[in-house]
Amino acid sequence: MLKWIRWSGLTGFIVVAGLLVCFWAFAAGPLIKMAIESFGSDAVGAKVEVEDVSFGFSPLSLNIRGVQITDPDAPMTNMVSFETAVANIEPFPLLLGQAIIPELSLEGVAMGTPRSVSGAIAKAKKPKEEDEKEDKPKAETGEAKADAKSSELPSADDILAREKLLTVERGEALETAYQQHSTAIEQAVADLPTESDIKQYEVKLNTILKGKFESLDDFKQRKKALDELKAQFKKDKQAIAAAKSAIKNGKSDLKQKWSDLKVAPKQDLDNLKSKYTLDGAGASNLTALLFGGDAGGYAATTLEYYEKIRPLLVDEEAKAEKEALKEKRLEGRFVTFPTDRPQPDFWVKKLTFTMSLPQFKGQPSLGQVAVNVTDISHQQDVVGQPTRLFANGVNLKNIQSLKVTGVMDHRQSPGKDVFDLQMEKWDLDKVKLGLAGLYMDEASAYAQGGVTFSQGKMDLSSNILFKDTTFSTKDRTMLAKEMDAALDKVSRFNVEVSADGKVTSPSMNIRSDLDKQLQSAFNDRIDEKQKELEADLKKKLNEKLLGYAGNYESQLKDMNLAEGNLSDATKKLESLAKSEMSSYEDQLKAEAKAKADKEAAEAKAKAKAEADKKKKELEKKAKEKLKSLF
Amino acid sequence: MLSMLAKFLKLLNGDAAPGQVAVGFAFALFWGLTPFFSLHNLIILLVVFITRTNLSAFFLGSALWALIAFLVDPFAIDLGEWLLASPDLQTTWTTMYQSDVWRAFKFNHTLLMGGFAISLVAFIPVYFLSFGLIKVYRHKVMAWFEKLKITKILKASKFYRVYEKLEG
Repeated sequence: MLKWIRWSGLTGFIVVAGLLVCFWAFAAGPLIKMAIESFGSDAVGAKVEVEDVSFGFSPLSLNIRGVQITDPDAPMTNMVSFETAVANIEPFPLLLGQAIIPELSLEGVAMGTPRSVSGAIAKAKKPKEEDEKEDKPKAETGEAKADAKSSELPSADDILAREKLLTVERGEALETAYQQHSTAIEQAVADLPTESDIKQYEVKLNTILKGKFESLDDFKQRKKALDELKAQFKKDKQAIAAAKSAIKNGKSDLKQKWSDLKVAPKQDLDNLKSKYTLDGAGASNLTALLFGGDAGGYAATTLEYYEKIRPLLVDEEAKAEKEALKEKRLEGRFVTFPTDRPQPDFWVKKLTFTMSLPQFKGQPSLGQVAVNVTDISHQQDVVGQPTRLFANGVNLKNIQSLKVTGVMDHRQSPGKDVFDLQMEKWDLDKVKLGLAGLYMDEASAYAQGGVTFSQGKMDLSSNILFKDTTFSTKDRTMLAKEMDAALDKVSRFNVEVSADGKVTSPSMNIRSDLDKQLQSAFNDRIDEKQKELEADLKKKLNEKLLGYAGNYESQLKDMNLAEGNLSDATKKLESLAKSEMSSYEDQLKAEAKAKADKEAAEAKAKAKAEADKKKKELEKKAKEKLKSLF
Repeated sequence: MLSMLAKFLKLLNGDAAPGQVAVGFAFALFWGLTPFFSLHNLIILLVVFITRTNLSAFFLGSALWALIAFLVDPFAIDLGEWLLASPDLQTTWTTMYQSDVWRAFKFNHTLLMGGFAISLVAFIPVYFLSFGLIKVYRHKVMAWFEKLKITKILKASKFYRVYEKLEG
């Protein structure tokens, strides 16, 4: 039996296998580090840095240290960073290229930590037009609708700076149109004859028309020159017509745009009044003014993080492409059988970490939250489970309990992500509100809410109950005093926040029974404030209009002047063009006639002289005969 | 291609034991007819290395079977589908599927299962057929072949130079 064994082959095989293991032990760590940094940076769009990657063999585990994931929107800040990550790995699936991680635990997790060097990477800029196009001003009426980022205290300057004004838009359109027409007119005017050109035409015309033709050639040359001059006149007249047309079009367009601009301030004022109304019916906006800024800010931050994380968890496009490819290729397929041990390409069965809660209004962190995420995979259809999130507050300061749960279910398309929040007794202390220098000195907040994301849209509803509230203000204005007095009577109130629409630009609604409590107390003061605001807005909008008006008047004057100059030039050219030249034949005929007339006159004079001479001779003879008779 | 044919003839005309060459061709079935990056191929390689299998026959045979696999693959996939869907074998497959080790062998891949089944069935026939053909070739065909006029012409050709190079 032993004669069948090739000992050298066995030795060679063991040596090769040993070399492979050694390579894996020493080179795999740096290779994985490079892979994480390279693919991670590509996926995030900013630098992903890893300090060190090492392997443990019993059990097979991966230890990653010092990971910093840069925030692509703020390259000097880390979106997420952690000190260590320990991942247990199942060895056999790794042979199939599948990373199955039963447990991944992170330590030292932090969000928004500063970086010592910029984490920006060069990349092609993505156009933002689509989002910008969709950010149209929303004129909401009736119930309090306030954009997530538009619920600050409304001063006239703030509103004018924040809102997209028709006055500015149309004013800019007028200026742009003037620039375009000016260019067109300048081009047309450049083709026109100048004063000196017209004088030269007169000189040429005089040269052509004055004096006798020396010969037939002379006549022909002059005729040719005259024809050329007339062709030039024709060309010049066409250029003048084109210039006139350009000026006419420009004037007409500018007049239309000016008419539109004149009515824009009124339309702007109407829009702004409906959006920022503080009258009795819309007094619920007060809640949005008080809390909208913070709510909008936190919502925006949360949504930004959600948008960054979502593509890393689920890549539906890649899944669809993979499915399409599977059908085309003749390479066989994997048949699946019922199992409680599914194997996707990547699967973190359990991720645990603890992180600090973000700071609130400059106060120290509210404590920590222990996060537990299960079944992280981009192939949830294979895993058969959605990704679930459980977060519980630990070592909380001023909060009795905090729970966040989430289910990100992408087993079927379209996927759906659902998050719920429950918070008990958050003791608030000196919370600055967004109006009249108001502070909520004390309150206990109880919040519960849920948000669903699906197909790029969100639907959020939440309820926050404020109990045992006390308020104060340092402002000495009438509004501040009145609000403070009214709020003294309020010990508890409820705030309902809801949002829906696209994840990138949700529309947020904030309602509260606080509004009802304060409504009657504020109607008078708010009316007054509203009038002041309206007057201020009107004044500033009119100032903008006047700014454009000055330009328009001078632009119109320039165009009228140019039009007058063109009319003069046209008249001169028409007068020159009427000049005609007689033919050489006519000149010869005239000369022959003059010669014949001259000869006839000479003959006539000669005949007359002879007749006179004969007459004198006859008279002389007659006299002599008479003398002889007497 | 010429080089490959020359290698093949050198192998046939050499003094390697017919059994070792035949078993090389038979093992080559697995490498040629199943997807290359599979765990069972590593085991086949181990077996080939530690037994006195003719390595030239194995690698040459692998290349030849891989060419034939282009024709066989559709049939292998169908066979794999049929085997993996067979109701009588469902319990076996399901049990195996619960094991990470078996999954690492990709037994549930249709092409691998079909190719492996064909290789397994064909292993003994290919061994005996190769063994017999090599013996017949060496004892009868080779001597007769040497005497042919065409062989003499071939010996003056480029092909023979390639063959000679390998021989030398």
